[in-house]
Amino acid sequence: MEISDENFRVWAEQNEVYFDGVFRLAGPDAYAPIYSLITGLLHEGHKQVTFNLTGLEFLNSSGINLLAKLTIEARKMGDLLLVVKGTHQYPWQAKSLPNLKKLHPLLDLRLA
Amino acid sequence: MRPTVYGSESLAGISLDSGTRLTLTDGPLQLGWKHSGMTSDFIAEVMALRYSGSKKGYVQAHHDIGYLSNELIENAVKFRQPGEILIEAGIFDGSFLIRVQNTIDGVTSSRFQQLLHRLQSRDPGELLLEQIETNAISTASGSGLGLLTLLSDYDAKMAWAFEESEGERIILTTTAAVAMPPSSNP
Repeated sequence: MEISDENFRVWAEQNEVYFDGVFRLAGPDAYAPIYSLITGLLHEGHKQVTFNLTGLEFLNSSGINLLAKLTIEARKMGDLLLVVKGTHQYPWQAKSLPNLKKLHPLLDLRLA
Repeated sequence: MRPTVYGSESLAGISLDSGTRLTLTDGPLQLGWKHSGMTSDFIAEVMALRYSGSKKGYVQAHHDIGYLSNELIENAVKFRQPGEILIEAGIFDGSFLIRVQNTIDGVTSSRFQQLLHRLQSRDPGELLLEQIETNAISTASGSGLGLLTLLSDYDAKMAWAFEESEGERIILTTTAAVAMPPSSNP
């Protein structure tokens, strides 16, 4: 399962979703296929799902909205642990990822 | 007629004459979504040069300039009426300033002014989380999430001026500023 264009790539390996590159899509409609891909994985019955954002260089606000919506979807599933792996290498992550933790306090945010 | 201003009045009035000016023309080649990314990358490349003496400072400056520019130009491209988008940008007193001007229609203008009204009396961080929760249960776009991110996560100072023009058109001028790291390469 993979969605990509010339600037980004998102794919899943077992219970881990990898985001790579620059995401600047135009809005919820444009992000919808990615949302469906990942929501599908959240509902596959894993105990833990990881969003690996260490390759995610840039994300516009519509993309931040996507991550937030996925976090809320995971929050609804009481027995699922959501792990978000980020990096200080890309400044937006330290600024905006803590918002996900505010939405879902049980989320395990790992900023390395 | 005097424009209606929201946000920082002093920021709205500041002159950016000594900055860099770009015009995105809505000509025969058409102005498309991808041009907001190309333009903001260009602005970040040019403006962050003076920070290249320190890797950390450069990465921070390049990113913040790129993010701020991209959000403002994305909004201009998304909500504009046919016509030019005028962009002015520069580094002034340790801050990056950008001003984006485009025309919008009356409906967009009143919807946007309602959002700005709500913003005036609320903490942007709280409003951001509230808006995210609202977006999660609806598919409506144009929620102002980009602006809330800038105010909340980037500590941006912002001003919006609405000025009536001919017909139903309104000229929207958005000015934003973010603090830059100390310049290593003056």
